[in-house]
Amino acid sequence: MSFFGFDTTLPRDRQQGGPARGFFENPDPFAEVARAQALEDDDGIDFEDTYDGLGDQLDDDQDAFNDDTFGGGDAGAATTGAVGRDFDFFGTTAKVADVIGEEQVRYALQNPSAAPLAAQQHAAAPAPTATSTTTATTAKRSGYEKYSDPGYIPDLQAKSSVWGISQKKPDPIPAASRRPMMSLEEVEAQMRQRSQPTATMPSQSIPQHMAEPSFLPPPQYPQGIPEGFPAIPPEYLRAALEKGVLPPGMPGLPPGIPELHGAPIMSGPPPMHLQQNQLPPQNLPPQGHRHPGPPQGQRQQQQQQQQMPPPPSSRGPNGGLPVITNPQQLMHLTEEQRNAYLVEDAKRAKRNHKIFLLSRGNGLMTPQDKNFITRIQLQQLVAAAGNVADADPEAVLAEDFYYQVYSQIRGAPRQHPHQPLGHFAQTYLLQTGNRLGGHGNRRAFQSADNHMQRMQQQVQRAVEAAKAKPKNKQLIIEGSLGKISFSNAKAPKPMLNIKRPDSSEGPRPKKVQSDLSLSDRKSILTNIESVYSALMAMEDMERTMPPPPEEGDAEAIQEHMEWRQKVHSLNQKLWRALKVMEPIVPNSTTPHPFIAFLSYPKGKKAIPRIFRHIDQEQRVTILTMIVVHLDSLDVVRLAQPGPGEAQPSIAVRESIDLFSLAVMPSLLGYVNEAPFNIIIGLLGLVIAQTHVQSVARTKVGLGILTMLLSRAEIVKEAGQAAERDWQQWVEKFNVLFDTLEPSLADIFPGAINTGDDMYVWQFLAAVGIGASPEQQQRLVIAVKDRVMETVGYSKTLPADMASQRLGNVNLFMRAIGLDVELLG
Amino acid sequence: MLFFSFFKTLTNQTVTIELKNDIRIRGILKSVDQYLNIKLDDIEVLDLDKYPHLSSVKNMFIRGSVVRYVMLPRSEVDVGLLEDATRREAANQAGKAR
Repeated sequence: MSFFGFDTTLPRDRQQGGPARGFFENPDPFAEVARAQALEDDDGIDFEDTYDGLGDQLDDDQDAFNDDTFGGGDAGAATTGAVGRDFDFFGTTAKVADVIGEEQVRYALQNPSAAPLAAQQHAAAPAPTATSTTTATTAKRSGYEKYSDPGYIPDLQAKSSVWGISQKKPDPIPAASRRPMMSLEEVEAQMRQRSQPTATMPSQSIPQHMAEPSFLPPPQYPQGIPEGFPAIPPEYLRAALEKGVLPPGMPGLPPGIPELHGAPIMSGPPPMHLQQNQLPPQNLPPQGHRHPGPPQGQRQQQQQQQQMPPPPSSRGPNGGLPVITNPQQLMHLTEEQRNAYLVEDAKRAKRNHKIFLLSRGNGLMTPQDKNFITRIQLQQLVAAAGNVADADPEAVLAEDFYYQVYSQIRGAPRQHPHQPLGHFAQTYLLQTGNRLGGHGNRRAFQSADNHMQRMQQQVQRAVEAAKAKPKNKQLIIEGSLGKISFSNAKAPKPMLNIKRPDSSEGPRPKKVQSDLSLSDRKSILTNIESVYSALMAMEDMERTMPPPPEEGDAEAIQEHMEWRQKVHSLNQKLWRALKVMEPIVPNSTTPHPFIAFLSYPKGKKAIPRIFRHIDQEQRVTILTMIVVHLDSLDVVRLAQPGPGEAQPSIAVRESIDLFSLAVMPSLLGYVNEAPFNIIIGLLGLVIAQTHVQSVARTKVGLGILTMLLSRAEIVKEAGQAAERDWQQWVEKFNVLFDTLEPSLADIFPGAINTGDDMYVWQFLAAVGIGASPEQQQRLVIAVKDRVMETVGYSKTLPADMASQRLGNVNLFMRAIGLDVELLG
Repeated sequence: MLFFSFFKTLTNQTVTIELKNDIRIRGILKSVDQYLNIKLDDIEVLDLDKYPHLSSVKNMFIRGSVVRYVMLPRSEVDVGLLEDATRREAANQAGKAR
């Protein structure tokens, strides 16, 4: 008859009533209450006074038609009286409604004191009392079940105002005696709260199931309700407990769902109370097993806790608010506290719901499953990364050079540019190991360890397989007509299978031998490439430079020596590739290989890199080479504007710019440190070997001259120049000046309004500084027109451009002790 | 791997991709893989009149084999480095072939 399928009949009932007493077992609760009353002498309402005596009125003779009415053949036979009462169920219930309410009140009063008593008795004489307590509890539960009919509850509420009178009786009971009643539940709630703060769902679901009466707003019943309410929660709670609301086999099931079955049984408690009394799944199983007599142990516990002050921790989450375990308590709170409590509760419910949603998939996969997945993922990782997993930075650099270096230069998307994917895989492996090992369980740890080993072995195998694969790209199965070619991410299946000519028998060596003219385009480009490969080899060497050897560390010294040896041989290789030392063939139609090398943009671009790897002697050789061939340098030769052209073609101008950007700084860097005699020698070469007047008409030519002249001036200013050297210099300078003087007006690039002429003014300034006063005079005369032109022209320009042009002129004017300001 | 390495540096840059069926798509390069499959975001089809069916496409994955050209942002390419990378690649290939 019990809702949850338990046998809820009392011993007494068993005697008198058969299994077919009908659904509504009205008499039971009152009988039970009477028993309770007997246990505890209570001066409350006298049960006999309120008992309607319906049972006595039963006429056993008049149940002849019971079978017709109830359809049960055996129903009436066993317990006629029960059936007779049950027949008019609503009426009967309504009649006893008052009594029910009163009994609830009374029960509530008896309950707290009954529990300690039971415990005491239990301590004294365990066996008999225990059974009595158990039966009492079960009876109580069964007694209330029948009022779960939602249609009945409004009655209860309506009548509650009537209790106003009878309420007087419970009222005088001192707060002290009421206090333990509350704290019993309080303690229960605390226990549950502590062990499981994750009550779920009910705030949403319960109220819907429990129609209107389920929640009574406190202000509505300021007086009558308080006593009515507390009767139910412990009742329900115990019922739920005994019935094992949460089956132990379904730990993952949210407490809220079984709750729904239980909810309709009870009449009254507001949802928040339900939530708080949610039972933690982990607590439940033992209680479920102890089914027949769970409350004793629990009550004992409760009792013990009752005597102790509630642990402070339980108050933590409410932030100073008292722990609310039933609505009555809520009622005692101030409005503010109540609101705070409700908000708190809503929050908790929300969180619990979220946890529930998140944990829905919990426990679906066993650790083994997870490991399996991890292994598959790792395998894929290894397969995707090829053999990068074991690659050292060198190999990564070889494979992924552009990306790696680019990332280093421009800020890497990856944090550590040298970190290959394999590191990632390894880190991941370690992480998994830690996580599995963290369980503490030795067996779990062991198996995890084993597992890690297996995984590592597998990864190793996969890596080896990936490495081995490219070696046999094709598989020829015997008897088949075709070949099966393998491909992987790093070596895609080749569409064309072209056999490369071996370099030993190819035409290339022949070409090299037959390459009499070292300056045809192809061989120049080949030279440039060989220079670059030598350069890259040297740069690689630089990276692998061993640390400077310490004194006495023979091995390190040996290593260092070997490294130096290698660097030196690479340097020689580079030097040979540059072909700077090729003999100079005078009046040759083909330019010198090195000059040809410089005529290509990438040749020019190589110069700064080359200069980093060669010594001073090699640098001066290069500089000398350039100076000697200044005439035939493309940037000089082609830079002469043709007749009628204001300036050289765009391509030439670009290469001039490139030369100025790439080559000149390197040369200047050397010249600024070069000894004076070399400067003198270079100037002599310019004068002797080149056509100075045409060289001076180009930007590069003038740049080199400026470079030399200014260096000489700096040396002189620093007082480092020996008198004899200086004489030599002045001699050369005079020759240069005399040669240039007639064409000084022509060294400007085109008309006044074309292009940038700053470099010319720089050159003139350099000349002006080194010139004698008489030479300065001649210089001024030679360029006077241009100066005036520029000053005049600058007046038509916007301010910033004008000042720039005037500044250029001033560079020269100041060098000879004048200023444009003087010109007005 | 040179091209892969190269295109990796262009992620999150705007590129224009011309497919072998002449559709040109401009978009932000989100990722590229070793097959040079390309993932584009915020795309914009250049001749949208001709391909109205693409008007609502916002991002796409392009199989590497259907790409004809990739137009690159000039400023994002380090030419010198690329030249060196190419030389290395050539050296690697030559080394492997031998």
